Amino acid sequence: MILDRLGKELLFFDGGMGTLLQAEGLKPGELPETWNITHAEIVTGIHKKYIEAGSDIILTNTFGANALKFHDGSMSLKEIVEKAVGHVKRAAGLADVDREVYTALDIGPTGKLLKPMGDLDFEEAYEAFKEVVIYGEEAGADLIHIETMSDTYELKAAVLAAKENTSLPVFVTTIFDERAKLLTGADVPSVTALLEGLRVDALGINCGLGPEQMMPILEQILRYSSLPVIVKPNAGLPKQVNGKTVYDVLPEAFASTMQEIVRKGAVVIGGCCGTTPDHIRAMTGLCRGMEPVALKPKEWTVVSSYGQAVFLGEGSKIIGERINPTGKKKFKQALKEHDMDYILKEGITQQDKGAHILDVNVGLPDIDEAAMMKEVVTELQSVTSLPLQIDTVDVKAMETALRIYNGKPMVNSVSGKQESMDAVFPLIQKYGGVVIGLALDEDGIPPTADGRVKVARRIIEEAGKYGIQKKDIVIDVLAMTISSEPEGAKVTLEALKKVREGLGVNTVLGVSNISFGLPSRPVVNANFYTMAMFNGLSAGIINPSSEDMMKSYYAYHALMNLDKNCETYISQYAQMAAPAQAAPSAGQSMLLDTAIEKGLKEEAHHITSGLVKDRKPLDIINEFLIPALDKVGKGFENGTVFLPQLLMSAEAAKASFAILKDAFASDGEVEEKKEKIVLATVKGDIHDIGKNIVKVLLENYGFDVIDLGKDVAPELIVDTVLKKDVRLVGLSALMTTTVVSMEETIKQLRKQAPSCRVMVGGAVLNQEYADMIGADFYGRDAMQSVYYAQELLQGK
Amino acid sequence: MDDMTKEAIRYLGYGKHAVDERTLALISDSFRNLEETAGRKSIYRIFDFNQTADDEFTIGTSAIQSSSLGRNLKGCRKVILFGATLGAGVDRLITRASVTDMAGAVVLQACAAALLEEYCDRCQTEIGMEMEKEGLHLRPRFSPGYGDFDIRFQAPLIQMLNCAKTIGLTMTDSYMMTPTKSVTAVIGASDTAEKCHIKGCEVCEKKDCIYRR
Repeated sequence: MILDRLGKELLFFDGGMGTLLQAEGLKPGELPETWNITHAEIVTGIHKKYIEAGSDIILTNTFGANALKFHDGSMSLKEIVEKAVGHVKRAAGLADVDREVYTALDIGPTGKLLKPMGDLDFEEAYEAFKEVVIYGEEAGADLIHIETMSDTYELKAAVLAAKENTSLPVFVTTIFDERAKLLTGADVPSVTALLEGLRVDALGINCGLGPEQMMPILEQILRYSSLPVIVKPNAGLPKQVNGKTVYDVLPEAFASTMQEIVRKGAVVIGGCCGTTPDHIRAMTGLCRGMEPVALKPKEWTVVSSYGQAVFLGEGSKIIGERINPTGKKKFKQALKEHDMDYILKEGITQQDKGAHILDVNVGLPDIDEAAMMKEVVTELQSVTSLPLQIDTVDVKAMETALRIYNGKPMVNSVSGKQESMDAVFPLIQKYGGVVIGLALDEDGIPPTADGRVKVARRIIEEAGKYGIQKKDIVIDVLAMTISSEPEGAKVTLEALKKVREGLGVNTVLGVSNISFGLPSRPVVNANFYTMAMFNGLSAGIINPSSEDMMKSYYAYHALMNLDKNCETYISQYAQMAAPAQAAPSAGQSMLLDTAIEKGLKEEAHHITSGLVKDRKPLDIINEFLIPALDKVGKGFENGTVFLPQLLMSAEAAKASFAILKDAFASDGEVEEKKEKIVLATVKGDIHDIGKNIVKVLLENYGFDVIDLGKDVAPELIVDTVLKKDVRLVGLSALMTTTVVSMEETIKQLRKQAPSCRVMVGGAVLNQEYADMIGADFYGRDAMQSVYYAQELLQGK
Repeated sequence: MDDMTKEAIRYLGYGKHAVDERTLALISDSFRNLEETAGRKSIYRIFDFNQTADDEFTIGTSAIQSSSLGRNLKGCRKVILFGATLGAGVDRLITRASVTDMAGAVVLQACAAALLEEYCDRCQTEIGMEMEKEGLHLRPRFSPGYGDFDIRFQAPLIQMLNCAKTIGLTMTDSYMMTPTKSVTAVIGASDTAEKCHIKGCEVCEKKDCIYRR
């Protein structure tokens, strides 16, 4: 078994395959995997050379062999994989060596970008990898090597496919650039956290760079990884000479840098593009017999997203608590109405205010929590790079979220109850994550600090049975309100200290519980927050929009020398010395219609707040908002106002409408019933900026827009129209290749909802084209669609 | 005003009109944000070029039919396939702005387009200097989807450059590039220098376009 040797002795991979096949006549763009069938002898011959050059592990020629590339059926994927594995085995038999040779099923990326940035669904990617790994194991591969991955999300799909469908060891290497980033933005700590969480057997770096350039990246990997490290560089950086790609690091130089790489701590080494059997021979000649550096477990507590890692234990971190319906009427409403923008804005605001991690709780009776969790997590990850904290008591929702989350998440939570641990720990074991352990058990919340520490210890021990290490547990010692538990704060602070110092694990706390039932809660919360940080709070679950809490946070870090030269503190508060400007009141300096025409969002907000005190919302709309919007709209049509200005006005009007909406509610007045319009960017199309412009404007003019997003299947559009009784649909498409789906959508709408009208727009469209596909209206710009909707639905 | 700002203003549809102060401020914010976010990457490869008719030719192993590209490449000895991207971070930046501030999103989009063109120009200048050493002169770049050059050539082009692996540029089933702020193009190289470098807008037949230079 290779795992018995891994880390204990140096193991050698082979070198480049593609470059050698090109030398044998493989054309650019031709799929190298087809050569397993058409040029079996050449492929076997290359493997044999590598084995004779000293390689212990040989990669099958299956880098691009997946269902997405071999979908037309001209060659069977199964046959390609079987042959590829067979070629390595045969080469091992033919080669004149007295060593064990391992066959590694080589898995490269699909060549497609996953949603939400691209069009490949996570589960589709998973299925594509699943097929190949099953064939590979059946054919007799000894391990799976996933390599050259540049997207953590695709990487996760591949690792899950390998681990769920085979019992083979899984090695993983990713391709970093000179800035130590993956192409999709991930850094070394976030990739390492993800892979350790998924429990691969070895991890490292391949391709992209030469051995010298890999050195600083290797140092980072070694700093964060507790797993054996693999290094497979190119033979230098590629250069174009006479139309050919060449690599200029020669075998001797390659070998001597690889020796240095082994001294640093890599335990599995080989070559990638441009390396040849000569490189591998020189490398094994120099390095075989070297004593590998012993593995050292690392104790970082780290959560990650696709693009960044957050370490707990350095100062105190902020977990934003606002994505949670508990006690929030508007948030509940947003969940019920599926108002994704509202939820995303809560996330973005918290990031802007300084949150490091976002808690995500979407639990509400009567909604499908798993489905909602999946959608919110996916959408949040397309607008923020902050790691997320999956917060749910629904085990199904938790698993759904853990599976599709891009990174290593924080999980909220498990408790000391056996039932809870039995349900949650297997999920953490499988998907990875840092889990919050609540210091309560079957007997409730222990009244003393020692009681809570005892529960914490039990949680840590039970986690250990699943191979979940202490570094991946953070303890919430719980805060009880001092209005009913006079000793509550003291017990919590004592427990914090004991857990942090005694058990040596990180801690979190929902801080604001402490003041429940008291007046001026922010004062109590902020002071308790400071005390908690001082007693070892690694992360507070707080509202980062609360000034008081943030003042505590910044002051604490400045005071404890956790903020070098008080830089962050100064940058936050240096401006505060000047007296804050009073908000302009109504009629004082500017009228609401002027603010909207000029697109001044803040002013529109303040002026409206003043106006609603003594005027009816409907009067404000008719007197100021509508005339202002009309004026700007006309200006846009006449070419005196341009798109950015039109949208600034729209955003200002939106700020004003938001206040009026609340005023309607508190007046007990009923808002005018709004007409519904469905908007969607058609199937296959991922450009949605045009659709979003139309949405903002339609909302301004009093329509209730149901935004189905981008890449929307015709069926979903038809369903929504039927279910919500919608009279107008707006479709957008950017290119000729996607107008086809627009036409198909219209066809289906005509058949199933014949009374529904369809307006279309997008770069490639014109009146003629719109007529051809049977649309009712072509909007050459966003205002045209507003006018059409008004005419059709409001009789204007 | 620098060239990139001018281009961004043109993409925003201002034509010859003066741009307002606030939009101008948004533009400069956008360029600053983009500068922090953009992960510029590019790749090129040189191929033999073989033209059998005005509108028929092969690049590498790919046979292509297109009279507009045929005209552009006439007389060339080599062609360069080129790919460039600003990376996925820029897409995320625009998506994020679409949620909070649509005016900002539209301006970001225009600025990203300008930044990408400027980057492509810079790459092309560098490639041009390399090619000059071999006595070859570059033509303006020409992208799939322009004129009658079939958008579907995107697929072999991306494959021949191995774009997914080298620069993270991929394509959807509908031939759209992801990340969206990306360019692929064919650049001809001939023994004689073409004096008149007509490119972009001037070569386009859609004369009533509001974005026309």
